[in-house]
Amino acid sequence: MTTLELHNVVKRYQGAGEAISAVDGVSLRIGPGEFVALYGPSGSGKTTLLSMAAAIMRPDDGEVCFDGRRVSDLSESESARYRRENVGMVSQSFNLLGGATALDNASLKLLPLGLTFRQAHRKALPWLERVGLGARAKHTPGEMSMGERQRVAIAKALANTPRLLLADEPTGNLDSQRSREILGMLAEISHEHKLPALLVTHDPQATAFVDRTYTLRDGRLSNGLDVELLPTVHQ
Amino acid sequence: MKVTRWDLLNPRIYGLRVSALWGLYRRRLKYHAVSELMAGSGIAIGVALVFGVLVANGSVLASTRQTINSVNGRASLKLAARSSSGFSEQIAERVGSLPGVTTSASILRQSAVIEGPRGHESVQLVGVTPGLVRLHGAATRDLGAGARMLSGGLGLPSGVATSIGVQTEQPATLLVDGTTHTALVEAVLSAGSIGALSSSGIAVALLPQVQALAGKPHRVSEVLISTAPGKHNQVSSELRTLAAGRLDVLPAGAELSLLEATAKPTNNTTTLFAAIGLMVGFLLAINAMMLTVPQRRRQVAQMRTEGFDSRQVLMIMTSQSLMLGVVSSLLGVAFGIVLARTIFREAPTYLAVAFAVSGHLEVHPSIVLAAVGAGVLATLLASLTPVLDLLSNEPVDAVLRRPGEAGQGITPKTRRVLAIIGLVTLLATTIAVLVAPGLTVVGGITLALATFCFLPIAIFAITRCLRWIAREYHGGMLAMAVLELESAATRTVVLAGVAALAVYGSTAVGGARSNLIEGLDTATVQFFDTADIWVTAPTNDLGTTSFAPDMLVRAISQERDVASVRTYQGGLLDVGTRRLWLRARPSDDPTMLQASQILEGSASTGTERLRAGERWVALSGTLATAYGVKVGGWFTLPTPSGPERFHVAAVTTNVGWPPGAITFNAADYSRYWQTNDPSALEITLKSGIAPEAGKLAVERALRGDPGLRVQTMAQRITQFENNLRLGLRPLLEISRLLLVLAALALATALGTAIYQRRARFITLKEDGFDRLRLLRALLIESTVILGVGASDGILTGLYGHVLANRYLRLGPGFPAPFSVGGLQIASTLFIVGGVTLAVLALLGYLAAGVSTQLSSLE
Repeated sequence: MTTLELHNVVKRYQGAGEAISAVDGVSLRIGPGEFVALYGPSGSGKTTLLSMAAAIMRPDDGEVCFDGRRVSDLSESESARYRRENVGMVSQSFNLLGGATALDNASLKLLPLGLTFRQAHRKALPWLERVGLGARAKHTPGEMSMGERQRVAIAKALANTPRLLLADEPTGNLDSQRSREILGMLAEISHEHKLPALLVTHDPQATAFVDRTYTLRDGRLSNGLDVELLPTVHQ
Repeated sequence: MKVTRWDLLNPRIYGLRVSALWGLYRRRLKYHAVSELMAGSGIAIGVALVFGVLVANGSVLASTRQTINSVNGRASLKLAARSSSGFSEQIAERVGSLPGVTTSASILRQSAVIEGPRGHESVQLVGVTPGLVRLHGAATRDLGAGARMLSGGLGLPSGVATSIGVQTEQPATLLVDGTTHTALVEAVLSAGSIGALSSSGIAVALLPQVQALAGKPHRVSEVLISTAPGKHNQVSSELRTLAAGRLDVLPAGAELSLLEATAKPTNNTTTLFAAIGLMVGFLLAINAMMLTVPQRRRQVAQMRTEGFDSRQVLMIMTSQSLMLGVVSSLLGVAFGIVLARTIFREAPTYLAVAFAVSGHLEVHPSIVLAAVGAGVLATLLASLTPVLDLLSNEPVDAVLRRPGEAGQGITPKTRRVLAIIGLVTLLATTIAVLVAPGLTVVGGITLALATFCFLPIAIFAITRCLRWIAREYHGGMLAMAVLELESAATRTVVLAGVAALAVYGSTAVGGARSNLIEGLDTATVQFFDTADIWVTAPTNDLGTTSFAPDMLVRAISQERDVASVRTYQGGLLDVGTRRLWLRARPSDDPTMLQASQILEGSASTGTERLRAGERWVALSGTLATAYGVKVGGWFTLPTPSGPERFHVAAVTTNVGWPPGAITFNAADYSRYWQTNDPSALEITLKSGIAPEAGKLAVERALRGDPGLRVQTMAQRITQFENNLRLGLRPLLEISRLLLVLAALALATALGTAIYQRRARFITLKEDGFDRLRLLRALLIESTVILGVGASDGILTGLYGHVLANRYLRLGPGFPAPFSVGGLQIASTLFIVGGVTLAVLALLGYLAAGVSTQLSSLE
């Protein structure tokens, strides 16, 4: 069964004259069908941690393993292949092609696998239907609401049937009603497909939809929601 | 409210300080330097191209006009000879005593070559009398003192003196009428004393001296006449009586009209090419700006969300476009001046054969204003699209909230409208050019516009086909490229537009030029292949300068290697505003007519008639049209013997001389031009004698006289072709410049497009695309863009080539047989494709390798 594991992961950035630890000795394990939230304010290192899980970024120390395989020191082409074949990523900015239809957008991740449009559409359409946009497959993102665009982005992330779901502030651009819909959907998909899922958020309400919550503060991980941060976050 | 000095220096416009406008533009320059630089380059290129050509062409006429006026002074009429033999000085003296004539000045003009330590120059030796000073011309005011100064010697303009390397009181060698003379340079005349005349190819001496040098005692070429107030018509009538139909009575400035008429066809041709260049440059500028449209639309949306009202946004966008347009256009003008001083400076060479043209560079302010105006207009037009958002009913931040790049979509309606505009433009251009070939210049511009209009629909159609292939057969990176092409339609069209315009301009201009060169080369070879060896006056390539044969013919005939010597005659004749090239071939010439140049009539019949003489001539198509005659018809020509009637044996092209040419039998020419002097000797060698050996034999017979030039047929052909090419050099330079600059514009456009997509590449890499996959998708995408653009450019370019070729043949009547010019198209594609691939390989690889970590820094 697929599992994401981080062991004593460290990432430092060179600041003005001194090294800043964005992630400082974080260890984490997410099992199949587990939906985990990583909560923290801006600059706490959440996205850095998620990027290391996606093999976009290499840790300075420690290791990231997926399915028992070390992914923290893959080459550029190996890490691309890892993301292509295993990872589904959803981000706050949707990353959609403005002039392409929802179906084309959802199929995008399948193209580097060498699929034709027909084959890619056949695989992506069920996911669009799953997120409730089957009837709007031919519409472009410009013709959709923010919530719908985010659902297209989710369909795109899932079209390659990933084995790991990573979501970076997926509700950052949505109102609370739409946010609840999207988070509920992600939780459902994670459980249904036994996907380990990591949600990065600064919205404390998101924690209601996940199985476990961690707080990342100054690069250090702690269990649960750090209530001390709540007022800061809401500011 | 009190108005301070600061308010006056820094006024508010719609609530915005001028300093704030400048500050906003500085901020734009700081953050969007690449796109501003690219847009500015496009504008500067277009402006430079047209400015350089217009200044160079205009300068010849403007400075020569200045030269003629500065000599003519108050003269309003002139009595002129119809041949280089001139007319009797006694007639000139009688002019001075006509009632109503206040001043008359006799002049003898003689073609010559002057040699100094540094080289030689072809000049017009001008013999003047003190009467010239009394005409009060700007250039001759100081000649009163000069006349004394010149006594027995020469006055040289500073340009000629510098070129041959002589100074005052130094000797120079004059080659006149086939003989060599040594003359002392008594004065070097600078621009300060004789203005634009200082750049003219002339040498001045007193009349009796020039008469002696030219071997034309008591002969003059023309008399300049000033009349008493109100007596112009009376004097004109008296002069016509005196001329008795054997001399021309003309306005004093007639020379300029002749020059204008002679230069016009070539200038029009150059203007056609420059116009295509201008349109290409103009559209390149617009295209360059179009690449910045998405970013400018965001800028407009941001300003509106920040509270700027529509007038203020308009003011900011307009001021930024104005600043960019003005600065780029001024840079373009500066670059254009460099082009005019270097590349396009060679243009008047072919005119110097028949006119004393001035090489003085004249930059008229109106040309500067027109060039800057065009550049600014291009910039303003291109910056219009983002401003259209001000008219939209959408929320002010709609553009900011839209996914992807703003303004990248092209609606089906826009595609259809543009295609219809393109078709209508093509149709209108065809009709206009068919009805009036003179409109070809405008046609060149409108075709460039049509080239661009066809692109959106062409790209749409091709993308649809590719999508079908990607859906059914081959997905992967082809599918990815299709998605990118579709989702960034504006960028795709803009990039394809740059490629299309580069190929269009180069195909149309380069193709027409190749045809012209090919036609002229054929005409030249057939003209000179009648003799193995040619003897002519030095540097006179048209063969219009006669020389005294003395014992030459006999001496050459007696050479062992020589089979025969024939006398070729030729000259120039002014008819109306045309200075015609007269060519008189002896009856025993192997070829009387160049078969490839015949437009009407048959070569064999024409040759037969010309060989028979008896007033049969071949004349250029433009002349036949002007006289309203066809083969077999009669027309009247003014000759030194009076008006004479000739009939048309054949109608030819202009054989490379824009005003037109007439080919006679030498016997007819001798009779009516009252001279037996040759302007060339055609020598046929005995069988088996090598041309070089024959040349040595002829030189031996001439005893090394430098007053005449001996050339083998091949040498004569090469020299003539070189001079023709020199005259057409601006066309070559324009087509090369167009291609190189357009290729650079394409490289910059591609570079900018790739640079702008770095963020997109990052998200694609997050989705699992590696560097090679991205590069492959980019390569497919660029190949499609280049392929569609180049195909569009080739098709419209070929059509432009057809129209330009038709104009060259029907307008000035050049010999220009049409051929597609596959090599020209292939080399264009090679350069454009090479540049694109080089840019892609470098920038694409770098951009595709952009680190995904850039997006992850939180």
